[in-house]
Amino acid sequence: MNSTEKSRLSRVWIIVIAAIMVEALSIVQAERMRNMILDQLNSRSHLVLASRANEIDHALDLVETTMQENIWEVRRSLAHPDSVFQAIVYLIDDNPHVLGGCLAFIPDYYPSKGRLFEPYGQKTNGAILVRQIEGPDHDYTLNEAFQQAIRAPGPMWSEPYRYGPDSLSMTTYYYPVKDEQGRVVAACGLDLDLSWLGDTLNTQQPFPSSFGLLLTREGKLVTGPSEDRIPAAQVQEALDILNGTLPQSANPAIDIKTLSMNRAPYWQVVQVYQTSEALAPLHRMRIYQMFFILLGLAILAFMINRYAHNENKLHRASEEQARLGGELAVARNIQQQMLPETFPPFVYGFLEPAREVGGDLYDFIIRDGKFFFCIGDVSGKGVPSAMLMSVAHSLFRMVSQKEESPSHILQALNRQICQGNDSNMFLTFFVGCLDLYSGVLNFGNAGHDKPFVLSDGKIELLQTVPNLPLGVFPDTHFEEQNCTLAPGTILFMYTDGLTEAKNTDQKEFTREGVQKVLHEFLAADPEAPLETLVTSMNDAAHRFAGDAPQSDDLTMLALRFAPGELLREEIHLTNDESETTRLGTFVKDFFGKLELDNKTASGMRLALEEAVVNVIKYAYPAGEKGDILVQADSNREEVRFTIVDSGMPFDPTAVLEADTTLDAHNRPIGGLGILLSRKLTDSISYSRRNEQNILTLTKSIL
Amino acid sequence: MTTSIQETDTRITATLSGELDTAAAQETEKALMPLLNSQGKEIYIDCTSLEYISSSGLRVLLSILKQAKSVGSRVVLKNVNEVIRDVLDLTGFVNIFEFE
Repeated sequence: MNSTEKSRLSRVWIIVIAAIMVEALSIVQAERMRNMILDQLNSRSHLVLASRANEIDHALDLVETTMQENIWEVRRSLAHPDSVFQAIVYLIDDNPHVLGGCLAFIPDYYPSKGRLFEPYGQKTNGAILVRQIEGPDHDYTLNEAFQQAIRAPGPMWSEPYRYGPDSLSMTTYYYPVKDEQGRVVAACGLDLDLSWLGDTLNTQQPFPSSFGLLLTREGKLVTGPSEDRIPAAQVQEALDILNGTLPQSANPAIDIKTLSMNRAPYWQVVQVYQTSEALAPLHRMRIYQMFFILLGLAILAFMINRYAHNENKLHRASEEQARLGGELAVARNIQQQMLPETFPPFVYGFLEPAREVGGDLYDFIIRDGKFFFCIGDVSGKGVPSAMLMSVAHSLFRMVSQKEESPSHILQALNRQICQGNDSNMFLTFFVGCLDLYSGVLNFGNAGHDKPFVLSDGKIELLQTVPNLPLGVFPDTHFEEQNCTLAPGTILFMYTDGLTEAKNTDQKEFTREGVQKVLHEFLAADPEAPLETLVTSMNDAAHRFAGDAPQSDDLTMLALRFAPGELLREEIHLTNDESETTRLGTFVKDFFGKLELDNKTASGMRLALEEAVVNVIKYAYPAGEKGDILVQADSNREEVRFTIVDSGMPFDPTAVLEADTTLDAHNRPIGGLGILLSRKLTDSISYSRRNEQNILTLTKSIL
Repeated sequence: MTTSIQETDTRITATLSGELDTAAAQETEKALMPLLNSQGKEIYIDCTSLEYISSSGLRVLLSILKQAKSVGSRVVLKNVNEVIRDVLDLTGFVNIFEFE
């Protein structure tokens, strides 16, 4: 499993754990709230039941009080059967809940009234009408309630019943009426309308499907909600559960609370709830909660993902950065290693890139007693300019090995750099070739800053022709110039990183700043090592810049023409083989002055002679007289011969060497000359300049 | 550059002294013409006093060698000094001449 999958998995785990925790919290909370709600419902229904019971109690009380307050009137009327009617009127007029009242006499109490006698008063349209209702169709003595009332020791409430055309629910309060002998002779009843109780019980129900019931002591329904509010089946279900005919488990959602009255007739007030309804707000809340939890988790997941993504990106970016950093460090090393590592005493160079890699370069090579050097600055900085710089650097190395003319070197570099230079980068470049014996400096300047020439205590700018930089047009011609440096002359080259070094005020070090340091150097010790000059220049530039970051690559190259003890002789020859005798004498004489040993001297002489003979033989057309100049130079470290002729272009270094492994028979006669020249010297190089062939042979004599 | 030739029944000895440079080569070649007509005799070239030789000189020696070989004769270089020896080394002539 890779790290990405791992981190993805851990992210999923975070979300899952967060979800579980939040959900657990939510469940616990919901459970608590559920209990709270049910508790509240419980205590609330208890209150409701108590108050309902109280209300019923009160209604019954009123009836009972009415009875007690008026029963004496009834008793008084016993003496006259007809006055009973008026007593009933009094009785029922008193209480608005009383629908009617009766006085049912035991059979044959009033002989004049027949066996049965029951005057009954009824409220009809606000008036009270009392009439006799006994008769063959209505034998009240058969009524169980009557029988009980007659036998009862005191007043009693009948079981509720329905009566009349409206099938009103009602109950009757019976009061036994005794005669003077203490015999119960009649039952006085007051009919209490119970239908209003059903409404009372069911007004202000907390939930749409909760309802109240009134039951008898035995559990018979007295009154309940109207059928258009609660279906009868639902009421029946509650009754069945209360009566035990239906187990509670049949409908666990139903919650039934009962309270029995603490007085006769000990009816029960019942409150029925659907628990689900009570808990509906909780469920709604749970749904909202779930929604918000999910939303929160989604946001959390999104954020974690994003964070992880960013983290990942950051991680990758820093890895990439590290990798790039490493590669840049390698690139920097490569670039640094391309720079000359050691300096001959007459030269010192310095390069400090502003970033890891830079677009500046300097380089030099010494060959044939000549010092080829260059300094350049690629437009821009960083990796792209460093790449172009490396190209230019390699090209300079390659070209300056063969080419002697700065103009040609510039042209060769320019052609190569222009090829495929789609990014339109360019570089300023100064190439010089200093003859270490004569002090002749050939140079070409492709748009680079003019070097300073420090000579004889004076500081001047080398007056260079303004050529285009390299990389602009492939066919640019670069004009070559030359001058001769007096011994001790210093050439100080730099890139604009020096003159344009900025301080924190954005001021530049300027050419004047450079000049000042050069003056100080000359004033102190003009013959001090060049390292001192370059180092103090660098210090001065850094002091000037202060805390400002280095904005550009800083490069300096200083060289001094210090010929030391030089030996230089020359001889003019004509193109005749007999001239080799003179040449031999000239060479022996020269070597004599250098006190060379015979072996080295002979080798060098042979190399020179073979080269000169080549020129004599081939440079000029047969029969044409030509001049050949031979120069011999030495600084006591090496010897350099320069052969100059004005003949046809002829590069002897391009001639094939003789095969030295052939046997006598197959040996061609010839081709040995160039072989000997090459083998007996350290280097041999050809160039053609100013219509002249110039062949240079050098050999170390240390 | 001086050249002398001594001849016996079986051997021709040429003594070279001085510097056999390009200028001297032509003259030396002429002087050594008898060696090109060795008629089977051994050719000895005494180099004791030869101080210098150029490629032209080597060519002279090579012509002599080729001629001698064609008639079944041998060419021996005597007392070659270090300087000359080096040149013979460089050119591979050490492999085709005999030395004493």
